Amino acid sequence: MKRYILFILLFAIVFAGNATDNKAKIEVPLRFDRYYSYDEVVEALQVLHAAYPEFTTLDSIGKSEEGRAIYALTINNPKTGDVLSKPGVYVDGNIHGNEIQAGEVCLYYANMLLTKYGENEKITKAVDKNAHYIVPVVNVDGRYHFFKDGNTSSSNRGLRVPRDDDHDGLFDEDGPDDLDGDGNICQMRIKDEHGNYKIDPEDKRLLVRVKPGEKGEYSILGYEGIDNDGDGKFNEDSEGYLDPNRNWGYNWMPPYIQRGAGNFPLSGTGIKAVHEFMASHPNIIIGYAFHNTGGMWLRVPAEKSTEIPRTDIAAYDIIGNEAIKITPGYVYMPAYDLYPTYGDSDSHMFFIHGAYSFVGELFMRSAQETYKVKKKGETTAPSNSREEQNRERLKFNDNVALGELYKDWKPFTHPVYGEIEIGGWVKMSSRLPHTFMLPELVHRNAAVVLLSDEQTPELTIEVFDVKEIGKNLSQVRVRIENKKGLSSMTAQAFKDKLYQRDGLKVEGGKVVAGGKLSDIRLNKVSYKENKPEVQFFAMPGNSRVEYQFLIEGKGEITFNYESQKAKNVTTSVKL
Amino acid sequence: MIKKLYYFAVLGLLAFSVTRATAQSVPSFDKYHTNDEVQQIMKKLAGSSGTKLHTITTSPGDKPVTVLEIGANLKDVPAIFMGANFEGDNPLSTEGALYFAQMLLDSTNYTKNVKWFIMPQPNPDAAAGFFASVKYGATVNSYEINNDADDAVNEDGFDDLNGDGLITKMRVKDLQGTYILSEKDERILTRAKKDKRGIYKIYDEGLDNDGDGQYNEDGEGGINVGINFPHLFPKGKKEAGLFPGQAPEVYGIMRFIYDHPEIAMVYTLGNSGFCSVPPKGGRKGGANMESIKIPSRYAKRFGVDASKKYTMDEVIEMMKDIVPAGMEVTPSMVASFLSLGAVVNPLDADMKFYKSYSEDFKKYLEKKSFNTERLDPARAKDGSFELWAYYHLGVPSFSMNLFTVPKVKEEKKKDGDALSMDDVKKMSTEDFTALGESKIDTFLRANNAPEKMDAKRVLKMLDSGKFTPEKLVSMMKKMPKAEKEDELSEKDKALLAWSDKYWEGKGFVKWEKAEHPTLGAVEIGGFVPYLETTPKPELIDSLAKTQLPWLLQLSTKLPAISFNSEKFTELGDGVFKLEMYIENNGKLAYPIAMGQRNGQPAPIIIVLDGEMEFLQGKKRTSLGSLNGNQIKKLTWIIQAIKGQEISAKIESAVFTDVVKQIKIGG
Repeated sequence: MKRYILFILLFAIVFAGNATDNKAKIEVPLRFDRYYSYDEVVEALQVLHAAYPEFTTLDSIGKSEEGRAIYALTINNPKTGDVLSKPGVYVDGNIHGNEIQAGEVCLYYANMLLTKYGENEKITKAVDKNAHYIVPVVNVDGRYHFFKDGNTSSSNRGLRVPRDDDHDGLFDEDGPDDLDGDGNICQMRIKDEHGNYKIDPEDKRLLVRVKPGEKGEYSILGYEGIDNDGDGKFNEDSEGYLDPNRNWGYNWMPPYIQRGAGNFPLSGTGIKAVHEFMASHPNIIIGYAFHNTGGMWLRVPAEKSTEIPRTDIAAYDIIGNEAIKITPGYVYMPAYDLYPTYGDSDSHMFFIHGAYSFVGELFMRSAQETYKVKKKGETTAPSNSREEQNRERLKFNDNVALGELYKDWKPFTHPVYGEIEIGGWVKMSSRLPHTFMLPELVHRNAAVVLLSDEQTPELTIEVFDVKEIGKNLSQVRVRIENKKGLSSMTAQAFKDKLYQRDGLKVEGGKVVAGGKLSDIRLNKVSYKENKPEVQFFAMPGNSRVEYQFLIEGKGEITFNYESQKAKNVTTSVKL
Repeated sequence: MIKKLYYFAVLGLLAFSVTRATAQSVPSFDKYHTNDEVQQIMKKLAGSSGTKLHTITTSPGDKPVTVLEIGANLKDVPAIFMGANFEGDNPLSTEGALYFAQMLLDSTNYTKNVKWFIMPQPNPDAAAGFFASVKYGATVNSYEINNDADDAVNEDGFDDLNGDGLITKMRVKDLQGTYILSEKDERILTRAKKDKRGIYKIYDEGLDNDGDGQYNEDGEGGINVGINFPHLFPKGKKEAGLFPGQAPEVYGIMRFIYDHPEIAMVYTLGNSGFCSVPPKGGRKGGANMESIKIPSRYAKRFGVDASKKYTMDEVIEMMKDIVPAGMEVTPSMVASFLSLGAVVNPLDADMKFYKSYSEDFKKYLEKKSFNTERLDPARAKDGSFELWAYYHLGVPSFSMNLFTVPKVKEEKKKDGDALSMDDVKKMSTEDFTALGESKIDTFLRANNAPEKMDAKRVLKMLDSGKFTPEKLVSMMKKMPKAEKEDELSEKDKALLAWSDKYWEGKGFVKWEKAEHPTLGAVEIGGFVPYLETTPKPELIDSLAKTQLPWLLQLSTKLPAISFNSEKFTELGDGVFKLEMYIENNGKLAYPIAMGQRNGQPAPIIIVLDGEMEFLQGKKRTSLGSLNGNQIKKLTWIIQAIKGQEISAKIESAVFTDVVKQIKIGG
C-alpha cells in the first residue's frame, strides 16, 4: 500500500507541471492520467514521432471498415542495426473497441522507451537491442465510437461490419439508444409492484431481488433503448457483431460454431492489415495483444485439442511466471483454461507468424471496490458476496472515484414504457480503471513487455578449438550460446517448417563433414549426411551447443548463424 | 522429343488460328484455352447484353480471376454461382464453364428468373501448368513458399530429365527398394508383400538440385486454391497454405460470394461429382446431436444436470421454456445455441435431394446414351470449394466432373460364365433366385465376395423380401475386396487401357534407361500428367453438350416463394385474424437443412404495410424454413378498417421480392 501511494505521488509530481485540465495539449512526455480518443491517439503518436524522428517511423498500415487509419509506431535505434535484423517485439491493443486502456498501455510503452532512452539503463538496452512495433488501436472504429457514442462499458467491441443478428432481414437496426443523451448507455428500471426487485435497504441506488412472497417495487427493463424496429424486442441488433479476435486465420471456425467469427478469416479489413504488417516483419519474436478485463496473462493454445511443444511452454513460462509478480492479482494460464476460442490473435501470431504471443487481460473489477478491513488475526480479508461487492463498488465510486463511475437514477419518460428511471454504471466504469489508477496499470503492464525484451534471444558464437588432423584437413569446433530465455525460433515453427529454419553456415572452405557434438570429451558427433556446410537448428532459451566441422583447405573460414528472428552472429578462423 | 508431346496441342493451335481467321463471335471448343485466351473469351462473352464482367482478384502470378455475371435481370433475382478448375489440373472444367456461359447466352430459358456467376479460372497460376513446356499436373499457385525451410526458395523442383516435356517417375533398383514389377503388367510397380524383398525405389522425375539428399521437395509455389477454403481446412498440409483464405484467389472469391447474398446455389466443375455420387458421410468428430452435454452455464438455467447427457428431443423441450412463446425450436437452433461444434457430414434431409438427383442424373445420362461405366469421380477434398459452399454458405452445392476414364469391362472369369455385378444389379429377385445355388456361388466367388457369404445365405436374405439383387451388389461393392496377389487396381487397369486404346500408348511414357547424376542407372516412365482428367480436345464439345444441360435442369429446382392465398376472419369491431399461406413452388427447401443449421442464408421476411394495428404478430415476420413444394401459414391479429387495402411483401436478399395488395376483410 505504501508503495502504491508513493507511486501515485510520484506521478502527481511528474505531471504536476502540466496537469491543468483534461483537454491539455498532447505533448511529450505523454500524460497517462487521462484517456485518449482515437484522434488523440493519432496525435499522441504523431508528437512522439516528431519528438524522436531518428528512432521512430509512423506508418498507416491499413484502413478500417469506416476508413480510419490504423497506425503502427516502429521504434528502432538505427545506430545499432537495421530494424529487421533485430528480434522484434510487437505490442497491440484495443482490438475490442471498448477495451480502451489497452491503447494507453501501448502508448505508455512507446512513451517510456523514447523518453527514458539514455537515462535509464534497462530502457536504453531494450531500445538498442530490439525492434519495437506498436499498434495502440487495432479496432479504430470501435475506439472512435466508444468515445463518441452512448455506450455501456461492454458495447462497441466489434468491427463495423453490419450483421443481421436477429435474422429479420435488417442490419444493425436496433441497437441501444442514449435516451438521456449523456454519452452512456445505462440501465432502465420501472416502478412495478409485481416486479422482482426492491430497493436495497443499505444503498438506495441498488436493487435486490425480492424473496418469494415478498412484494416487489421495481422491474429491470434492461439497457437504455427503444424498440427501433418495432419487433417487440429491445436493442437486439446493434452494430456488428463481428468479433475481431475471432476473425484471425489460424483455426478459424464459422459463426455457427464460433460466435463473432465473421464470414471468413481476416474478413475484417483492419485485421487483414495487421496480419500483413506482422507478415512483413518476420523478425517479430514475441507479441502482446492487450485486452480487458480479468487480470490474466494468456498464452496459446486457445483450444484444447491443439498442443504445443514442451520447450515452447517452458519459454512462455519464463515470462508468464514473472509477469504475474509484476501485475498483482493476475493469473497466467493457457487461453483454453478461460474458454476455448477459434480464430484468436494469439494463436495466429504463434502458429502463423512463429512468435510467442501473450494476451494481457488488463484490470480487475475487484480493484475498484473499497478495501475490506481485515479483522484482527486475519491474514486476508474475506471475499465479498455479489451484493456486497456492488455496495463496495458504489462506496469506491463515492469515496475514491469522486462519483464519476455511477449515475444516480433519474426519471425519464420513455416512448413505450412511460415513466421510468435511468441510471447505473457509466461506460468508463467496470472494465476501465479510473484515471487516477491508470498510470500504475499502464506502467506495470509495460514493465512486463520490457521484461520480455530482455528475454529475447542474445546469441554469441566462437570457434573454441582448431586441430590439424591431416595434410590439408582441419577439425574446427564452434560454440553457439543463447543467454536469454526465448528460443531463436519456436519449436512449433521449426517443426512446421514455417519459414527458413535457423542455422549455421560455413563458408570459405570445403566442409568434408560436419555435425553436432553431443559430447566434447568423448568426441561424439552426429555428422549430417548431405550439405554438412549448412546445419539447421534453433537455439532454445538458455542453451549452448557445439558443432564440429572437418574442413579441407586453408584460409579464412567464416561461421554465420542466421536466424530470421534473433540477431545473426558470425565468427571466423584462419586455417 | 516433339513426337511425345500431346499432339492435340498442335491440333489446338491449328484450330485456334482457323477460328481467328473466320472471326467467329462464338468461342470454339475444339482446344484447351490458355489463361490469356480464357480471359479473351470472357471479354467476348461479356460483350453480350445482360452480362457484367467482374475482376475479383489477382493471383500471386499476377493473373486476373474473373467472374462473368449473366442474366436478363441482374438485380433482385436469385443467383447460381459456378466455379471450375479450382485445383488447376482439370482444364476440361474451365472449358466446361465457358461452354456453359455460352449456353446461357444462347437461350433465354435459364436466365429469366435467375442470374449466374461463372468463374472459369480461379487458379490461373496452376492452370498455366497445362500449357507449360514441361508438364507435371500443377495444382499450386505462385505464392512463394519455402517448402523445405532451408536457405533457398523453390530451388528443388522437378526436372525433365529425358526432355519429353512431361514429369513422370523414375524407378531405380535399390537394395532397400520396396516395389516390384507387377506380373500382370510390367509397366506398373506394386509394393512388395510383407515377406518379399522389394527391388525398386520410385521417385518423381528430377534431380536433387540443392544437394540435401531429397528429390523435388521444394518446387515452384505455392498454395492449392482448391484446398484453401475453410471447411475442414487441411491444416498442416503445405499445399493448403497456413490458413484458409491465405491464397489471395480464395480470399477474393469468399469476399465476392459473401458480397452477393443472392447466391442460392453453387456449382463446381472439377474432379468431384456430387451430381452422380452424393457427398460422402461417415466422418467422425463432428457434433454429436443425440448425446448432448449441457454446459454448466446453461444447465443451471434449464435446471438440469451438467454431468448428464441428453437426447436432442429432451434438449428441445428444455429450450422451449426459454424462447419466446410460439417460436419453433429446431435441432439447428439447439446446436448453435449450445455450440455443439462443426457439422462434418451432410445432413440427412439434404442427403435426400442429393440421392434423388443423382439417380435422376444417371437416368438422364442413360437417355443420352452416355457411357456411365467410368471410374468414380474423385472425392471432394477437405478445404475444397464445393464442401465449403455446402457447409459454410448452407446452400445446395453440386459438383460435376465432366470426364473420368472409362472402366475396363470386367472379363468373364474362366470359372464358368459368371455373371458380372452389373448384370446382377439389373435382375429382379425372382430372376436371380432362379439362377440356382451353384450359379449364384460362382457369381459370388468370381466377384470376390467374402467366404462367409455363400448362395444359401444370400437366398435366405432375399427370402425376407427386404433384400434385392441390387442391394446385394451395392453391399459387395462396399466390402473390402479380398486382396488378390498382384492384382492391378481398377484405376491402373482403366488408365492403361485408356492410354493403349485412346492415346495409342501415348498416355504412358515407356520406361527407358537413363543415367542419373546421383541415383545412377534409372528408368524414366509412367503415366502422363493430366491423363486422368483431360481427354483429347475433340471430346470437349460432346462431353459438355451431353452433361452440362443437367445443371440447367437443376437450376429449376431452386425454391420459388410466393403467396398462395389469405383468409380474414372478423373477430369483431374491426379486429381481424389474418392467415396468409406462403408457398414454395420449388423442389428444394429454403434454406436446406445445412442452411438452417448454420443460419447463413438470408431470411425471408413477410412485411405487412398499411393502416393497421398489430394486436398479435409484427409488421416484419420471418418465414423461417420452408421445404420444397410446401405451404406455410402465418397468422396475425390486426385492427383495421374493413375494405381498406394493405400490402403484403415477401422480402429477401435472395429471391425476387413479391408484393400483393390485399383488402381487409377479404
